[in-house]
Amino acid sequence: MKTIDEPRLRDIVGENNIKSDPSDLYVYGSDSSVHQSMPWVVVRPETTEQVQKIMQYANAEIIPVVTRGGGSGMCGQAVPAEGGIILDMKRMNKILEINMPDVYCRVEPGVVDDDLNLALKPYGVFYPPTPASSRIATIGGEIGNNASGVRSVKYGATRDAVMGMKVVLPNGDLVSMGAHTRVEASGYQLHKLMVGSEGTLGVVVEAILRFVPIPEYRCLGIANFDSLKDAGEAVGAIMGSGANPSMLELVDSVAIQAVNKTMNLGLPEVAAALMFEADGMVKEAVDYEIHKMEALCKKCRGKDIQYSYDPKERAKIFMGRKKLFPALSKYDDSLASTSLADDMAVPYSKMADLAGKIHEVAKKNNIIMTAYGHCGSGCMHTKILMDTDRQDQWDSARKAITEIYEFVHSVNGTTSAEHGIGLSKAEAFKAEKADSIALMSMIKKGIDPNNILNPGKLMQAPDNWVTATDLRYSVHT
Amino acid sequence: MTTEFKHLEKWEGTLASCIRCGYCFEHCPLMKHTGWESDAPRAKIITAFGLLSGNVQPTDYVAHRMFSCFYCKRCEAACSSGVDLTDIFDDAQRDLLGMGFPGPGTASVTFDNCARCLVCIKACPHEARSYDGDAIATDPVKCKSCGACVEACPAGAAQIIHNYGTGKTDLTEKVTQFLEEGPSAKAVVYACNWSFYPDLQASELPDEDEQERDYKILVNMCGGRLEMPVLMAPFLHGARGVMVACCPDDECEHQGNLRAKKLVESLKSYMEKMDMDTKRVELVQIKAGDKQDFQMHIDTFVDTLNQLGPLR
Ligand SMILES: Cc1cc2nc3c(=O)[nH]c(=O)nc-3n(C[C@H](O)[C@H](O)[C@H](O)COP(=O)(O)OP(=O)(O)OC[C@H]3O[C@@H](n4cnc5c(N)ncnc54)[C@H](O)[C@@H]3O)c2cc1C
Repeated sequence: MKTIDEPRLRDIVGENNIKSDPSDLYVYGSDSSVHQSMPWVVVRPETTEQVQKIMQYANAEIIPVVTRGGGSGMCGQAVPAEGGIILDMKRMNKILEINMPDVYCRVEPGVVDDDLNLALKPYGVFYPPTPASSRIATIGGEIGNNASGVRSVKYGATRDAVMGMKVVLPNGDLVSMGAHTRVEASGYQLHKLMVGSEGTLGVVVEAILRFVPIPEYRCLGIANFDSLKDAGEAVGAIMGSGANPSMLELVDSVAIQAVNKTMNLGLPEVAAALMFEADGMVKEAVDYEIHKMEALCKKCRGKDIQYSYDPKERAKIFMGRKKLFPALSKYDDSLASTSLADDMAVPYSKMADLAGKIHEVAKKNNIIMTAYGHCGSGCMHTKILMDTDRQDQWDSARKAITEIYEFVHSVNGTTSAEHGIGLSKAEAFKAEKADSIALMSMIKKGIDPNNILNPGKLMQAPDNWVTATDLRYSVHT
Repeated sequence: MTTEFKHLEKWEGTLASCIRCGYCFEHCPLMKHTGWESDAPRAKIITAFGLLSGNVQPTDYVAHRMFSCFYCKRCEAACSSGVDLTDIFDDAQRDLLGMGFPGPGTASVTFDNCARCLVCIKACPHEARSYDGDAIATDPVKCKSCGACVEACPAGAAQIIHNYGTGKTDLTEKVTQFLEEGPSAKAVVYACNWSFYPDLQASELPDEDEQERDYKILVNMCGGRLEMPVLMAPFLHGARGVMVACCPDDECEHQGNLRAKKLVESLKSYMEKMDMDTKRVELVQIKAGDKQDFQMHIDTFVDTLNQLGPLR
């Protein structure tokens, strides 16, 4: 651990924007992942200039800097694996401009996603990438992780919505990237490189984001299936038909049973359920999409099909999916729900096989895993329920995960669709991207020669994520 | 001194089941006020785990954090893992108190100018205050920081030192700033933290949108903590009206809604005497979490104020 010049940092950000009590550092040493590692100091800049000064200091002294938004990342992206300074961006929280004629807004990185959408609502538009964690996720963190969500099947991920940004580089220089225009062909699209770079290349201090109109009509349907294979076939049929769902979600039998067990929802305990939604400005157009998806579900032996435009009915249909997280947490007092290998993506035609593989591997390794996800985007979520106190359960989890990723890569899938890599998916990521890791490392070295920005993440993270940092649980051997 | 966490121990499994999603951030008045993650409910859960596992040492600083909570329990309602957060806080407080770290955090204290009139003991809905024949004592674990004693104390001796922006001075300062700097400012809405917050949680609007705001919601924790000067302050700075939002009958843990009702009634009768339209003050009771209902009431109220025009 290096000595931090706290008076200097205090001079930059002000007396009330620095913390170094060990208990504060402990809190800032974790996020929503399994990892825990303490920073040396936490600072809250309010201006771009302050960020620049902090970076100049850190770069000169070669001190790690980890940028942090809401700290809701699930793979340890915001956990300071090698200590250093946490840059808590929550004070840079201004929505700077909502420009209707030019169809963009300009925001500081600490703006919370839900807040942005609340501010956009009176203008009849919304910012679409919206992850499930939108009530806490900041725009900076969404850029860091290339976040996406249930509606990304239609509206795309963060990378599709970011038009440009201002970034402070590790040496303190401020650069503008991208443009204020819908399209751009002027050289390297550096802003797109920043998206998903997990805070390893620069500190985003301003972002230009595009928005889209809030649809007048939204219709949500559900179909039950007696086999996962049929549900998987329906996904491929829908996506391959040219249909344009605004949401296409799968939940498996483990998920349905978990919700029934803990929430008493009384859902039919089938092998899988598919939720399909369409939205638009004209009802006939939405009807067209819904009927098309309904017919395709039927063709793939989907049953008990129902759909509704009514918000209350829609909420009822979505309840099983919505309650899944708390249901898994409450599934069994001795088991914790962990986010590991939780967001891989595979081509549509392989969704059902992947879900089947997850069940098979979980059984073999004596852990509980559920398969659900944004299958319209090819993204499959899992949660691993395990006794986090027991070392052998961690070993089993690691074995299971390795096996699942081998399958994912063998069918041309990718390690992460939305939560990113951080620490806990580095092993699989490095295996998947074996031939481009060297190139990524060159880019990192070119921009951050002293390796101060979020060191030890992505390609730099160790293979064994179980021992990469302390785990945030008490593990007994 | 013992460093055993006898009470906290039983929560070890629950502390592991918190998925640390941070969904509690937007609901916590402490976090909203300071913006520091270490003041959020999630941080208290992490700290409790740290205390149990020996990674965090008990200190006055840590105790201050663990004793700081207004017990609105909004974090529990929002918790995606169904964690009983405030029960855990209580047990952490019991253990810390046993080790000689009494907070006080947001618990109320009694200053030396106490006249020992014992009004606060009767006012406290949580039986946290007692008199030993010499001085008034507060049990910081039982105290739920509702502020009933603060409001009741005629000498101003019962105080909550750490208000997190919900105290009388903070509120009046915010009122003044809003009304003096906002060209469109018309109404102030005092909302208890239970009656939900249909507004941006942690971000700021663009300048033009900010200037067009005709009302401001100020969280005062509990309607029962409002005092007449706080209620009058907006009118003295040019507001057209004041709204008070609190819980429905029988749903307030501290009967603060009853006190708020009485207060609003007496303001109304005072206004009648002054020949002011009593529609300029309104009390609404909002079910916990009903953002939409609250917003509807605010919009209707602002419409009414627009019809009434400025106060002459
Ligand atoms: C319950 C739950 C549900 C979730 N659901 C989804 C989901 O549906 N889809 C999804 O994509 N994710 C989801 N996530 C993961 C996570 O919430 C998102 O990835 C989110 O975008 C992270 O935002 P944050 O502000 O919390 O970022 P943090 O966790 O604080 O940071 C994330 C990364 O971004 C970097 N970063 C932060 N700010 C900046 C900046 N200003 N400049 C440069 N880098 C920066 C950090 O260094 C870090 O590497 C979920 C998480 C939880 C807990």
